[in-house]
Amino acid sequence: MIRMTGAAAEKDFSSRVIEESGQNLLACLQCGKCSGGCPISSEEVGGPRRLIAEILYGSKRQALEDPTWWYCVACGTCMTRCPVEINMYAVATALAEMAEREGIAPSEPDIHLFEELFLKSVERYGRAKELKVGVSFNLRTRQPFKDLAAGMAMMKKGMISPLDFLKGGRSDERVARIFSRAHRKAGEQP
Amino acid sequence: MKVSYYPGCSLESIGKSYDHSTREVCRALGVELEEAHDWVCCGSSAGLKMNKLVSTALSGLNLAVFEKREPSDVVAPCPFCYRRLASAQEEMRQDPKLKGEVQELIEAELSGKLQVHNLVDFLRRKVGLEAIAAKLKKPLAGLKVVPYYGCFMVKPRQVTGCENPENPTSMDEILRALGAEVLDWDFKTECCGASLTASKTGKVVELTGRIVREAAFRGADAIVVACQLCQANLDMRQGEVGKQDQREYQLPIVYFTQLMGLAFGIAPAALGLNHHLVDPVALLEKKGLIG
Repeated sequence: MIRMTGAAAEKDFSSRVIEESGQNLLACLQCGKCSGGCPISSEEVGGPRRLIAEILYGSKRQALEDPTWWYCVACGTCMTRCPVEINMYAVATALAEMAEREGIAPSEPDIHLFEELFLKSVERYGRAKELKVGVSFNLRTRQPFKDLAAGMAMMKKGMISPLDFLKGGRSDERVARIFSRAHRKAGEQP
Repeated sequence: MKVSYYPGCSLESIGKSYDHSTREVCRALGVELEEAHDWVCCGSSAGLKMNKLVSTALSGLNLAVFEKREPSDVVAPCPFCYRRLASAQEEMRQDPKLKGEVQELIEAELSGKLQVHNLVDFLRRKVGLEAIAAKLKKPLAGLKVVPYYGCFMVKPRQVTGCENPENPTSMDEILRALGAEVLDWDFKTECCGASLTASKTGKVVELTGRIVREAAFRGADAIVVACQLCQANLDMRQGEVGKQDQREYQLPIVYFTQLMGLAFGIAPAALGLNHHLVDPVALLEKKGLIG
C-alpha cells in the first residue's frame, strides 16, 4: 500500500501518532488479523486494521473520529496476534490525547462520559467508586432505571451493599497531586 | 511465604467474594498476604486510554508503595490491576524519560525491581499444584467446569509474558488438581466487553452471550473466572442473553478461589458463594459438594 504520500500536515499527523504511541505503524501489513479477532469490530465500528490505514493515509479527522479507539477496552488480542506486534491500545491512548488537545468532540459520547466520570472518581477519592460512577452515568444519560433490577438483586444477594453507593471516603492527596501536575504539564488548567 | 497484596478497587465492592475467597485460600496454603493499605486505583482502562502519564503515575505510586515494604513479590487478583502494575514498571524501564516524569509526579524514586504476579499464576507456579493438592479435603468430583481466563491476565503476550495466551492452562491445572472435570472449549480468552457494560450494554450482552452459549453447549455446570469484571458481566447479563435466545441460562459464574476454598473444606459463606446472582449453592448442593 502507498504510505506517507499526503501533504505535510498529513505526514505530520501519521508521524506524531507513531511517535507518541511508540508503535511502528509503518510495519503494518494490513493483514487484518487484528480486526478479525477484535471483540469490538463490527459493521459500525471499523476495527484496528482500518484505523491504522486511516492514520497512515494521514486522514487525521477520520482517525480522530473513528469509534474504534473509543470502543477499545485494551484486551490485547490484536497485539497478541499481530505479526509485527503493534500495540493498538497504545495507539488508542495517543489518539485520545490528541483528540482532547485539539478539542475534537468525542464520536462516542457515552463511552467518553463513562470514562470521564470514572477518572473523576479516582481523582477525587484515590480509589474508584464504580457503583457511584454507574449511577452518575445512568443519571447523566437520562436512564435512571437502567440496570436497577440487577442492582437490587445484587444488593439482596449481598454482592454489593447500599453503602457502596453512598460512601465516598476521604480524598487522597497523592492522587489529586498526580492529576493536577499532569494537567499542568499538559498545559491545561488543573 | 510472604507477599504484598494488591486487591484493587473492585475487590472492595462488586468483587468482595473474590477478595474474601483469596484471603481464605491463601491462609489455608500458608501464604501470608501483606496488604499495604495505602494503594490507589490503577486508573483502569479509562486511565490507560485517556492519559498515559496519569495512568503510569498511578501505577508508579503503587509500585512505590510496594517497594517500601519487605516482600519483593506483589500479587494482584484483579487482572487489570496486575497487568497495569507489571506493564508500568516495564514501560518505565524502557523509557527513562517517562520514569523521570512519573517520579516527579509521585515524589518518589523507583527501583523497578518488583515481581508482579497475577493470582492464578502465583498459585499455580509459586505455590504449586503439589501444595494445593496436599490441602484437598473435599475433591470436586462430578463438577463439570469451563475455565474462563478473560483478557488482561494473559494478553497481550508481550506484556503479560503468558506462554500461550490463546490457550492458557494454569487455571485448568489448578481445577484438575481439585478433582473437577475441566471441559475443553474455545472461549477461554474471548473478551466479555469489560467496562463497556455501562456505556455499551448491548455490546456486552452480545459478547457475554457468545461465552455463555458456548459454555452451555459444552455441558458445563459452571464457568470459572479469575476476574471480578468477567464475573459481574457474565452473571449480570445472563438474563438478557436468555431473553434473546428465549431460554433460561442458569450458569453459575464462580471464582477459581471459591472452588479452591470449597475443596479445602472452607465454609461456603466464608467464600462468598451465596453472593452471586445465578446461585452456585443450589448446584453445589445437588452435586453433593456442599452440606
